[in-house]
Amino acid sequence: MIERKGRRASMLVAGAFGALLFAVACSKDSSAPAVAVGRTLPAGSTTSTFPGADKPGEWNQPGRDWANTRFSPLDGITTANVANLKVAWTFSTGVLNGHEGQPLVVGSTMYVTTPWPNITYALDLADAHAPAKWAFAPPTAAASKGEACCDVVNRGAVYSNGKIIWNLLDGHTVAVDAVTGKQLWMTTLADINKGETMTMAPFAVKNKVFVGVSGAEMGIRGWIAALDISDGHVVWKAYSTGPDKDVLIGPNFKPYYAFMRGKDLGVTTWPSDQWKIGGASVWGWVTYDPETNLLFYGTGNPGAWNPDLRPGDNLWSMAIFARDPDTGEAKWAYQMTPHDMWDYDGINENIVADIPIDGQTRKVLLHAERNGFAYVIDRTNGQVINAQPFVFTNWATGIDLNTGRPNRVPEKETRQGVTIRNICPSSTGGKDQQPTAFSSRTGLWYIPATNDCMDYEGTAVSYIAGTPYLGADVRMYAGPGGNRGEFIAWDPGHGRKVWGIKENFPVWSGVLVTAGDVAFYGTMDGWFKAVDARTGTPLWSFKTGSGIIGNPIAYTGPDGKEYVAILTGVGGWMGAIVSANLSPDDPTAALGATGASPDLKKYVAPGGMLFVFGL
Amino acid sequence: MATSRRMVICALILFACACEANEGRDVTKGGPPAGVAQSNVTPDTIPAGVMPGIHERVILGDVKNPYTNSPAAAREGRQLFLMYNCVGCHGGRAGGGMGPSLRDSAWSYGSTDADLFATIVEGRPAGMPTWGGKIPEDQIWKLIAYVRTLRTPQEPDPPPPSIQPNR
Repeated sequence: MIERKGRRASMLVAGAFGALLFAVACSKDSSAPAVAVGRTLPAGSTTSTFPGADKPGEWNQPGRDWANTRFSPLDGITTANVANLKVAWTFSTGVLNGHEGQPLVVGSTMYVTTPWPNITYALDLADAHAPAKWAFAPPTAAASKGEACCDVVNRGAVYSNGKIIWNLLDGHTVAVDAVTGKQLWMTTLADINKGETMTMAPFAVKNKVFVGVSGAEMGIRGWIAALDISDGHVVWKAYSTGPDKDVLIGPNFKPYYAFMRGKDLGVTTWPSDQWKIGGASVWGWVTYDPETNLLFYGTGNPGAWNPDLRPGDNLWSMAIFARDPDTGEAKWAYQMTPHDMWDYDGINENIVADIPIDGQTRKVLLHAERNGFAYVIDRTNGQVINAQPFVFTNWATGIDLNTGRPNRVPEKETRQGVTIRNICPSSTGGKDQQPTAFSSRTGLWYIPATNDCMDYEGTAVSYIAGTPYLGADVRMYAGPGGNRGEFIAWDPGHGRKVWGIKENFPVWSGVLVTAGDVAFYGTMDGWFKAVDARTGTPLWSFKTGSGIIGNPIAYTGPDGKEYVAILTGVGGWMGAIVSANLSPDDPTAALGATGASPDLKKYVAPGGMLFVFGL
Repeated sequence: MATSRRMVICALILFACACEANEGRDVTKGGPPAGVAQSNVTPDTIPAGVMPGIHERVILGDVKNPYTNSPAAAREGRQLFLMYNCVGCHGGRAGGGMGPSLRDSAWSYGSTDADLFATIVEGRPAGMPTWGGKIPEDQIWKLIAYVRTLRTPQEPDPPPPSIQPNR
């Protein structure tokens, strides 16, 4: 957490400097992305520290700060020297499924959490052997592997209040003492017999830890819960569907757009009781803004992929929520894809940033959505400021800023019994859960994108608890241009791409950007790459042992030098063909993703290895 | 002790039923074997829920699928594969997903008719639900008949080609 001493004085300086920076930024060429202003700006620096940021050399929480910028203030590794980066050490996790998520660094200990069975290792960075100070192997039920839609992944732990806290696939949240590894509490939250699992990384703030459930492909009813960090008991729980009292919608709920105003919309926008198996899971990232005291997260797809089973907008699926973290009360929400017909889950991260737009500093969320649009949203009220497609998108012509609703293209609306062809993006989206990063130095938002399209046919399906509730036959393939991925630098103030690096495979890793102005990402065929964060010039790459779907971090080692760490081990939804050894002759396998990457087995095999790089 | 004796008796009865059903039956004519329940898949017959993992074991010995080489049974098995949401875990044409591919020659729990039957009825530790008591035995054999046709010319509703129209 950031230091408190001398904060008031430094804030005055920061405010003055911020104003100066703002003036300088506005006087520049208006086509360049305007540099954002963080709330704490050390004098003489263009590096802003976002609220809740961990110590410069540490990484205590998934996004390194409450805003999930994934920006590291370390500048030992720069555009001038990153070409000399080499492997410092490695660590095999002992698990071969998809390694999503990121390691943590607290002091001189690194914490690595694995896919099922969700072991967490505490590695001693002060010892060249990096031995485990402890390893906590929870009794995660093997049967939960059969309820996880998209590989048995885990998106990481969080360090807070002396505890390391993470979710188990079989529906528990566990907290252990960070120093000793002794279990402090374990809370049961989800029931695998109903198809519920947990894969998301918890988020900790205000002595609470926030966790959500996975399973919208299984006809579950989504929710987010706040646990007391001292003993893990549930403080509040907000469902994603159902009556207002369950969704914690009350008199202070003020959605910006009219279509979300009304009583019990979480019931009335569904046929009969369909909301009870309505999906809208919470399996993505959570962020927090202390200025507005709002917690932000998104909900997943509505239950049954076959849209004909659920006429109506299907609230509150596909929606970004802003909630009071203490009570869970919803302050606003924004549903990005009403009556979804394509599985464009709304769970992607909402980066909290202040961006100069049209001469004003706006308090926004940056949300690169599955549906192909890069949303810049006013975080005080949920108004869309701009939303432009960051990949080729043809299911909608745009987002109507007056109504907040997408202008759908009728020819791309899916239904039961008809195959609709060449819908872009595919269900895996312009971007899935793999998180973006934001640099206030460059003003750029770095998006690991997928360029895929699909054929989609709704099919009949019955709800059987504990089994997939899908009802869609899907086949994916590369989008226009043939490249299945692109690493994009986006100007959020103007809503446009600044540059992009095309990739053969979807870019399924998260992004790290540093004060050395280097951006890092990994490819599904195993390349870990560093590029110039301003220009996109490739500067360095290394071929690791398996595909990369995790998120890189930067930290300071006990020797005082900067290191970059990344988990490798392909899998996840897009990589399941390798991690689960699927059959390429069935392009509809893995909910259609097999058709998108049938050649992946040629490049990589399953793996599970932490790589740490240094100069 | 008592439980396992009961199970052996159950197994013997099942075995006997299967054998009885085989006598004098021409599989090419289609329709259910004599003495085996007519398949009847309607929304009312959909089970309320299944649990993943192993529950009661069933011992079958060397029983053979009564629907071996029956195209009609395979076609019906394909419909059952959709109806029971098998596609959701095992993929649109059984190429895998949450669960393993059934198209390839790798079988985690054995590949004989008896093995596949037991896997479906009992469930398996990594998440295969326990369908025993939920899917009628006759339908299980038809599902297995469908699985046997994968990657053969007899496969009903084979996969569409893997295409790259934008390249």
